[in-house]
Amino acid sequence: MGDSSGRGAAPELLHYRPWKGAFRPPIAAVWPIARTGLLMLLRRRLFWGLYALSMMIFLMYFFGQYLLAWFQTQAGESRVVVGLLAIHPGELIEILADKLKLNGSAATYRNYIHYQGYMVMIVLALAGSVLIGNDFRYGSLPFYLSKPLSRRHYLLGKGLAVAVFINLLTTLPALALFVEYGLIYSWDHFTRNSYLVAGILAYGAVLTVSLTLILLATAVWLRRTVPLIMTWTALFLLCRQLATSLVDGLHLDPRWRLIDLWNNTWLVGGACLQMGPEAFDPASQPRWVEAALVLGGVSVACLSYLALRLRAVEIVG
Amino acid sequence: MALIQQPRPTAAPQTSLLRAWWFLVLLSWRRQARARQMVWIALGLLAFTTAMTAVATAADLWHRPRFRQLAVADQMMLDALVPGSPAQAVADATFGAAGVAVLTDQSAAQVFARWVVAAIFLGFLLPLWSLSFATEAIGGDREQNSLIWLLARPLPRPMVYLAKFVALLPWTVGLNMGGFALVCAAAGRPGLTALRLFWPAVLCATLAFAALFQLMGAAFRRPAIVAIGYSFFLEIILGNMPGVMKRVSIGFYAHCMMLEAADRHGIQIDRPNVYWPVDGTTAIIVLLTTTVTLLVMGMVVFSRTQYHDSV
Amino acid sequence: MSELSSIAAAGGGNRGVEKEFSRDPKGSAKTSGRSRDPARQLLPTPVLLCQRVSKWYGPVIGVNQVTLELRPGITGLVGSNGAGKSTLMRLITGHVRPDIGRVEVLGRDAWSAAAKRHIGYCPEVDSFYEEMSGRQFIETMARLSGYTSGEARRRTGAVLERVGMSGRAERRLRGYSKGMRQRIKLAQAMLHDPELLVLDEPLSGIDPVGRAEFISLFRDLADQGKCLLVSSHELDELQKLTDHVAVMARGRIAAVGSVAQIRDRLDDHPLTVRVDVARTTEEGGKDRRRELAGALLRLPDVVGVELLDDAPGEEDVGRLLVRARNPRTFFQDLTRLVLEEWFEVRRLQTLDESAEAVLGYLLGGRG
Repeated sequence: MGDSSGRGAAPELLHYRPWKGAFRPPIAAVWPIARTGLLMLLRRRLFWGLYALSMMIFLMYFFGQYLLAWFQTQAGESRVVVGLLAIHPGELIEILADKLKLNGSAATYRNYIHYQGYMVMIVLALAGSVLIGNDFRYGSLPFYLSKPLSRRHYLLGKGLAVAVFINLLTTLPALALFVEYGLIYSWDHFTRNSYLVAGILAYGAVLTVSLTLILLATAVWLRRTVPLIMTWTALFLLCRQLATSLVDGLHLDPRWRLIDLWNNTWLVGGACLQMGPEAFDPASQPRWVEAALVLGGVSVACLSYLALRLRAVEIVG
Repeated sequence: MALIQQPRPTAAPQTSLLRAWWFLVLLSWRRQARARQMVWIALGLLAFTTAMTAVATAADLWHRPRFRQLAVADQMMLDALVPGSPAQAVADATFGAAGVAVLTDQSAAQVFARWVVAAIFLGFLLPLWSLSFATEAIGGDREQNSLIWLLARPLPRPMVYLAKFVALLPWTVGLNMGGFALVCAAAGRPGLTALRLFWPAVLCATLAFAALFQLMGAAFRRPAIVAIGYSFFLEIILGNMPGVMKRVSIGFYAHCMMLEAADRHGIQIDRPNVYWPVDGTTAIIVLLTTTVTLLVMGMVVFSRTQYHDSV
Repeated sequence: MSELSSIAAAGGGNRGVEKEFSRDPKGSAKTSGRSRDPARQLLPTPVLLCQRVSKWYGPVIGVNQVTLELRPGITGLVGSNGAGKSTLMRLITGHVRPDIGRVEVLGRDAWSAAAKRHIGYCPEVDSFYEEMSGRQFIETMARLSGYTSGEARRRTGAVLERVGMSGRAERRLRGYSKGMRQRIKLAQAMLHDPELLVLDEPLSGIDPVGRAEFISLFRDLADQGKCLLVSSHELDELQKLTDHVAVMARGRIAAVGSVAQIRDRLDDHPLTVRVDVARTTEEGGKDRRRELAGALLRLPDVVGVELLDDAPGEEDVGRLLVRARNPRTFFQDLTRLVLEEWFEVRRLQTLDESAEAVLGYLLGGRG
């Protein structure tokens, strides 16, 4: 501080010193925005509660695979006693491997991601209202937009945060299951079934792109928690139930299932994992290409809406 | 020095708690209507469901599934039972005209009850509409930081909570019952049968859900998320659990009321030996008791909770 | 009984407050603010009574052992952000409950609905029923207080007139300026003619003309026998309104009394200050701690200087404990000394939290 050579010299007063470094491009702000969003959600106990619930499905698959491997080592026995229970390994192997598909096949990972549907929907409803809705309601948006970045970067940052959550619930646990299966059975699993990794990643990418765009569009449109949840659940639950009623109940054309967006991601995900039409239950399904077209159309519509709102002034709120 | 008297409570003689309470009921009811986005989405969902139902009715889809099963044995029979077809006479001759009419009506009502009333209305629309309005009753004021204006007034907190609940009822009951009537009307005869049979189940479920979700609004900071987690995760999981575990869900009792009403009419919506229902009277008692219990719980919670974030 | 029954000692923290309060048989700090009728101060029941009130928010303490007794008149409440002013006001208005202690308004528990008949609260929160006009909002508040429609209209008109909003009350609240919103908040607080008015930062966002009007209005209310507790960040602002202030710091009432009395008390009370100084200059040389200690002892207000042991790993920093009177002149002298003699001060800390807070205000800084 100051000139220390002379005791009587006038002190150099502290004053504002302008930043002399080089600013990074606005795109570099995307990750900090996403990171802030992630921290906002991770701070909430409700999120951890929902995540713990979603982990139940993961744990069922995780220990299911483990149990299957253990029972297969006992396959020679007619019955195995675990505590007070007498179990027939053959029957359990059949249930775990064939019925629940915990056999490390493409169906394992596709079904796992599909069963996460409810939790993904609920967590994303929370994420939408916290990440974007709150910014509008509490007027935090000007804080972002007063920095040298545009609304596009703001939405990219929020989208990145949403994408992380989607993958945290679906892709990452599915990859963990893949690794677990390989570690339990054989290293060959990793080389022989490497296409499954690509399939899981592709399925994750389909979910990430479509759900992120839909969530951003609905959150920017509705802003408040309850309307957002109503729309979000209508898209993923009402349409699903309606599709089931129309196709399974009233025996209409399977193409009616195309209104169920989660089912569409399931079909496209199955195709990513190289599964044939026979691997789908219920069997009356539209073709995966049709499902992909619907998802693509919805994503483009959401993107167009976002582009329109980005140009509009009122997004500033 | 003489003491001055205590300042007199000037407001007391002219004020009435009951009058304030009733005004709060009206105010809350009006303010629910201000949540226009929510109302419009609710109406949009109703319009969508009604339109789909009307399309299904126009295509005579309610009769198809039952007769498709019959057609496994005899395709001609299916043809014969399509109203207005030339083979109708053959069917009439085979079963007798009255018998066919009864079979057709029951079949259609059963299909409508199972796939629209139980799956879509009770399974989705009713909880969603109830949670949307009920979580907003207290939760909306919390979210908008306007709860302070109610809590600063001399109304006891249980009365505030009760007023919010009473104000909520026209919306939830109106939307659920009115929406149910509209969807049933769009389904034609089977719909009217379903309306006559199932309106008590819809009403009781509405009351119980409204009380539950308003309680969530008083207890949680993000009641809508908690409510949606409960409705579409726990209700579905618990409601489909084997054995008696499902009896902790509200939907189970509404479903039991439906089953009994349908059974009296000769319709079977679900297999009793698998579903293990309780009788209709028990279901009504449980739902009404649950409503009152949840309401009292809500009053207690609201009376004791300090809303730091909203004041 | 004197108009000001107690003044907290700045040097003793809350203990000091309790010590001073112990003069009163009830063990409470009594303040009766600006009131032209001294007899009102002899009311048998205080309008507001806080007895050793504490409030925690998780691990953070919002209000710590506050004891306060208010009678008709105006009392100012000053403190920095986070000092606990708003929490204390929420406790008084019954929006939150104390974890320990008791808050009573005219003998009733502040949490109860009965107490709210006697409380008018102008909160810091700036959310209204935005879709309403100012008049509709006030009338709604009147109806929620239980008045008939006619009476609500009459009272609404009267309070709007009183806060200077009668000509502008038909516009929607969402279009109001900050000052207009403050006026509406004040109007709803006065609506039911309460005995206790708790006003959280009522002057914030108001222009100078409006401030003068508000101050005049508050004085009128005090003259009518109302008890007003008015919070603010700015002591100067409150000084225009009342000579009776309570200074809050870190959840405690650090001092209660007139500003002059608090200043005098501070001047009389020795203050303990810790000074950490670099032992050597960059060129090396003498132990500068000893130099500073010597220089400090030559200052007229310094009572004593103690050389403290070095902290482990910080041998290059010398630590001193200074006891001084007349804090204002002491700090002026210290500043001059440091600049002239070029001591490299690493740390300067007042070891008494309450005194630090009060000083912060009296010297024009933060507490």
